[in-house]
Amino acid sequence: MLHADVEVDRREFTVRATLQVAPGERLALFGPSGAGKTTLLETIAGLVQPRRGLISVNDRVLTSTDPPVRAVPSWQRRVGLLRQNPGLFPHLSVRDNLRYAPSVPRSGNEMSSLASVLGIGDLLSAMPARLSGGQAHRVALGRLLLAHCDVLLLDEPYTGLDASLRRTLTDLVSTLVAERGVPAMLVTHELGDAQAFADRLAVLDHGELLQVGAPNDVVLRPASRRVAELIGYLGFVPVGDTQAGVHPERVIAGAFGDRGLVLAGVITACRPAGAGWEADLRVGESAITCRLADKPSAADGEFTVTVLDPPYFGPDGSALPDAPVEGAGQMGARSGLWRAP
Amino acid sequence: MSVVGAGVIWVALLGPVIVLLDHISGSAIASALTQPGALQPVVTSLESGLVTLGVLALICTPLSWMLARGKLPFPRVWEAGVLCSLLLPPLVIGLLLVFMVGPYTPIGEILTDLHQNATNTFLALVIAEVYESAPYYLLGAQAAFASVDPRLEEQAGLLGDRPRRVFRRVTLPLAAPGLAMSLAIAWARAMGAFGAVIIIAYHPYGIPLEIYTTLQETGLPSALPYALVLLVVALPLPLAAYIWSARAARRRRG
Repeated sequence: MLHADVEVDRREFTVRATLQVAPGERLALFGPSGAGKTTLLETIAGLVQPRRGLISVNDRVLTSTDPPVRAVPSWQRRVGLLRQNPGLFPHLSVRDNLRYAPSVPRSGNEMSSLASVLGIGDLLSAMPARLSGGQAHRVALGRLLLAHCDVLLLDEPYTGLDASLRRTLTDLVSTLVAERGVPAMLVTHELGDAQAFADRLAVLDHGELLQVGAPNDVVLRPASRRVAELIGYLGFVPVGDTQAGVHPERVIAGAFGDRGLVLAGVITACRPAGAGWEADLRVGESAITCRLADKPSAADGEFTVTVLDPPYFGPDGSALPDAPVEGAGQMGARSGLWRAP
Repeated sequence: MSVVGAGVIWVALLGPVIVLLDHISGSAIASALTQPGALQPVVTSLESGLVTLGVLALICTPLSWMLARGKLPFPRVWEAGVLCSLLLPPLVIGLLLVFMVGPYTPIGEILTDLHQNATNTFLALVIAEVYESAPYYLLGAQAAFASVDPRLEEQAGLLGDRPRRVFRRVTLPLAAPGLAMSLAIAWARAMGAFGAVIIIAYHPYGIPLEIYTTLQETGLPSALPYALVLLVVALPLPLAAYIWSARAARRRRG
C-alpha cells in the first residue's frame, strides 16, 4: 500500500495531494501540462522534498515532515520511476542496462524471459545508441521491472510510441503489477492511456486533486466543470440556471428524450473526423462540438441532437447529483426538447 | 574545407616540429644523450610529471565534479579563482610561489619541520608543475563531468545505487574520456613547465631546464636534441588518451 499525503511548493503554486494506492492497484494521474503530476511522482521517489507530508509504502515511512522526521534517500526507497526519457546508460549494453540494479536476481532467467516478452531478446548485446525510440523505452521498462521495486511510478513513459506498442506495454505492466501486487501510478495527459491502464483515475489541476474515482465515473460524472473541461467536454449548454456538459463523443443525431438532453441548433461547421464526422453546432448562445457517425444533413437549417445522459453543473461549477427539474416548462428535465431562448 | 586546406593548416601548426627535425642530426642526438648523466633530466621530468598527474587526479577531480554539479555556493567565484591561476604567467606563479612556500614563509617553516624544502628540490619541481597545469585539468574535468546527464545519475540512484556507487558506475565511466583528455593536456603542461620551474626549482633539471641551460652553456645545436627527447617521452601518454577516448566513443556507438 502506497500512502502519500503531501504539500510540495512549486514556483507558481503548491501541489497538494492525498492518495492511497493499494497493492496491485493501478492509479492514473491525469491532468494538463504543468499541473504538478511529475512533481508528485518525484516527491514519492524522494527526488523532491515536500514542505509538509507523509509518504509510506507498506507501512515503511519514506518521508515524514512531522516528528519523527524522516527523509529516506531515493536510493533506499525501492521506488521505481520510469520517465519519458528512457535514460539508458550509454556506456552499457542492453544486457548490462537490464541488470544494472543491485536487486536484479543473479540467475538471469527472469531477465531473458522478460526480454523476450518485451521483444528485446535479440538486442541484449546492442549498445543503447543503436536502439530505436520504442526499443529504448522497452529496455528502460525492463530495467525498471527487473529491479523489483516496491512501487512503480510511470511518468508519461509512452509519449512518442505508436499506438500498438503503447497498448502492448500497458497490458504488460498491468499484468506484472497484478502478479507482483505492487502499487503503480501512471502520469499521463492522454486520457486514453489513463483509461487503458488504470483501476482509478485521479485528476490533478494546478496542484489540486480535483477528483479521484473509477475512470468511467470520472469521465461520465466529472465532479466539477473544470474536471469536465480537462476530460474533454468541449461545450456547456445552459439549462435553467445550471449547465449541461457536452462531450463530443456523447452526442447522437436525432431526438431521444429518454436518453438524455435533446438540443436543436444550427450547424456552423462540419468536417470529417476519423471514421465519422465532427460538427460544430450553435445552440442559442452556446457552441457545442459533436462526433457523429453520419454526415449531418441540415436541410431545414436546424439540426437536432441528443446529448446522452450529460452531467450538470451548478452556478459554482460543481456537479449536481441529478439533472435539474426546475424550469421544466422550458425543458422537460432530462427528457424533452429544450429550445434555446 | 578540403583535405588539402586542412593539410596546409596542419603543416603550418607543426612548423616548429618540422624545423626541429630538420635541424638535428642523428650524431648530435647520440653525442648529447651519451654524455654522463644526460638521461637524468628525462627521468626527472617523467617522475615529476607522473607525480603531478597523481596529485591533480586526486585533489582536482572531486573539486571539478563539485563545480560541474553546482554543489558549491557562488560557483562564479570559484571559477574566477581557477581562471586567475590560469591567467597568471608561469613566471609570475614561480615568483609568487617563492613568497608562498619559500624557506622563510609559514609554509616553508612547516616544510622545514618536516625536513622538506620547497626550493630547488624535486618537491619544488612538482609544486611548480602542479600550479602550472592544475587549471587546465580542472577546467577540462569540469566540462567532462558537466557533459554527464544528471538524469542518468538520478536514474542509477532510483535503481538502488548509493551516490558513491553511482559515481563509480555511471559518472566516472561517462566522464572518463573527457577526464583522460584533460589529464593529457595537464601532462603536456607539466612536461613543458618552465616559467615557474626556473624560479623555484632550478634544480633538479627536468628536460625544459636542461634545454635552457645547455643552450646557455654550449649553444643551440647541443640543446635541440633534448627538445626531440621531450617530444618522444611526453607524446605516448596523451596519444594513448586520445586513442582510448576514441575507442570508448566508438564502443558507445555500438
